[in-house]
Amino acid sequence: MTGYGSKTLSPQRKRRRRPGWRGLVYIAPAMALVILFFVMPVIFTGWMSLHNWPLMGGTRWIGFKNYVRMFHDARFMSALQFTAYYTVIVTIAIFAIAFPLAIFVEKQRRFVSAYRTIIFLPVVVGLATASLLWVWLANVDSGFIGPALKALGWADKSPNLLATFDSAFLTIIVMVVWKIAGFTMIILLTGLQAIPSELTEAARIDGAGRWQRFRHLTLPLMRKTIALALIISVTGSILAFDQFYIMTSGGPQNRMISVVYYIFNQSFVSFNLGYGAALSIALLAILVAISIVQLWLLRVGEERP
Amino acid sequence: MFKRLLAATSIATLCLVSGASAAEKVEMWVRTGVGDAFKKAVESYNSSHENQVSMTEVPFSELVQKYATAIAGGQAPDALSMDLIYNPAFAAAGQLEDLTDWAKSLPYFNSLSPSHVKLGTYQDRIYGLPLSVETSVFAWNKDLYKKAGLDPEKAPTSWDEIATNAEKIRALGDDTYGFYFSGGGCGGCMIFTFTPLVWGSGADILSADGKTATLDTPEMRKAVDIYRNMVKKDLVPAGAASDNGANFLSFTNGKIGQQSIGAFAIGSLVTEHPDINFGVTLIPGATGGTSSFAGGDNFVITKGTPKIAAVKEFLEYIYSEDGQKIMAKYGSLPTRGDIADKVLAGLDPRLQVGIQAISVAKTPYTLQFNDLINSANGPWASFTNAAIYGDDVDGAFSNAQSEMQSIIDSGQ
Repeated sequence: MTGYGSKTLSPQRKRRRRPGWRGLVYIAPAMALVILFFVMPVIFTGWMSLHNWPLMGGTRWIGFKNYVRMFHDARFMSALQFTAYYTVIVTIAIFAIAFPLAIFVEKQRRFVSAYRTIIFLPVVVGLATASLLWVWLANVDSGFIGPALKALGWADKSPNLLATFDSAFLTIIVMVVWKIAGFTMIILLTGLQAIPSELTEAARIDGAGRWQRFRHLTLPLMRKTIALALIISVTGSILAFDQFYIMTSGGPQNRMISVVYYIFNQSFVSFNLGYGAALSIALLAILVAISIVQLWLLRVGEERP
Repeated sequence: MFKRLLAATSIATLCLVSGASAAEKVEMWVRTGVGDAFKKAVESYNSSHENQVSMTEVPFSELVQKYATAIAGGQAPDALSMDLIYNPAFAAAGQLEDLTDWAKSLPYFNSLSPSHVKLGTYQDRIYGLPLSVETSVFAWNKDLYKKAGLDPEKAPTSWDEIATNAEKIRALGDDTYGFYFSGGGCGGCMIFTFTPLVWGSGADILSADGKTATLDTPEMRKAVDIYRNMVKKDLVPAGAASDNGANFLSFTNGKIGQQSIGAFAIGSLVTEHPDINFGVTLIPGATGGTSSFAGGDNFVITKGTPKIAAVKEFLEYIYSEDGQKIMAKYGSLPTRGDIADKVLAGLDPRLQVGIQAISVAKTPYTLQFNDLINSANGPWASFTNAAIYGDDVDGAFSNAQSEMQSIIDSGQ
């Protein structure tokens, strides 16, 4: 019975197996890269996180003590808190700027490609370079913003923007929005352009106003695009490091230590590679969780019209 | 043609090989920001010796982590000019060559800078020897003193006097300021220039065994008050609040009346900014006395290097009178007390103040210097910014005190 079954099935199975095998070969180079540069480092990081692993000297197995320590680490908690705060503020700010910009450059008008280019230009500047540029712009004596405020008579004396938390945070938010909004705009623009003009026209004939068309037509059709832009923006913000390291070195009185900054400090300033590894694994878990939630939102978008 | 080429290359290769076997080439790292003293000493050694030293400059803020990762990766240089405060940590990690027997055989061992040797000693073995000495001193701009109607030759002896002078200098004009310090969370700058106020008055920020943080003392409160008042009266440029050390030498721009600087800076002021007419004196304590921070570099040898004989020969050259003279000329104070007068003869007399400072100077001994003091995100760095610029001085004291203690405890 079994012999009979397998005999009749075998040619079918062969046919089915071959494309699968060939597909594996096709993705093998990509898989090799992912395994070599992502999976293996992650496994090694996980292994390190179970040790007391100083940068110099011997390592010692300590089980899950690094993970336990994390929960009592007030500085890690405040880093998480600050990162969450930053992510929320900067994401809202980026979308508040990028969406109107996308709508603005979507319509065919004179110089539209010039506008697109100008708005996109800061994106091609590296984040570290942009941070350095803004350190100079915000410099109290030889910069641009402070002396300009003074010259315009809006301030008695040039303010030191990076000296207090609020003004330094505002400066960084403005810098990041200037740098990133163009990229989000391009993503949103592709979503806008994918909406068939017949739909908009039909809605207009039905008497829908401008706001109604945006609320009930544009937004639902862009759900997938918005989800993509959101994932990129949120992930990027959670991994923020350069701007705080370069512009404020952790901010006035350490109030701008993001999670990645804290991991860097633990690993390469305090030389606790093991604890840094444990923190990295925790951050990875947080990012995966957030991305799953966002991807779930994306699938909901697929089901709806 | 081809044959000739081949012959030429093989001869060249032979030369290279024989050259390498005759003389050792020592790889050595040195941090940036310590002036030209060491560079010039290396040049003069290379021109007069068969062995050669190849020097690589590494940014001062990254030297420790670069060296640590290089050791971990087996790529470490043979020797290193290491900021002496890191010496205990590296010695404790077992990464440095034990120099005890050789060091004690040097005839001038007992006259080597004592605080350097102390920092180079771990569990009674010596792992580091003094390479360059730097102390912090108080500098004032004589031209600005004269313009403000002060006696340019009279060194201030108390912080009351410094603050009064600062007000007079500030009155000179918009962009002239009475005082400067790097207050934007630069732990290294502030331990160098600000703790002498506390030390001079007899207090300290750590207990003698380094196991208790003793930040909250009346002397520290007074020192913080002195700086706070000068900031409040607008005697310090606004940029100081966020200066993380990049503009530490603002004194060189000629618009700062007074600032605590290092002896290396005396050398570079003399050689590179001859237009600045300045005087130096010891840093007064907050409630009397004087003090200084004895900093500088120790010479350490990576454990297991095969070129140890050549490295020792180079260090003996540094300790020779010639070597010491070259170092001193470019701002590094003599590390050998017995020939200091001979070495400094004919050099700028202001360097003598740097030498005097050695006798009153202190250096904290702790394995966690980076974590506690130097890190831009450590408790000391944020304390100095919060206490001097923040609104909640008491909070700054209690936060820093408890955070320092918890770092010390976690390292036990």
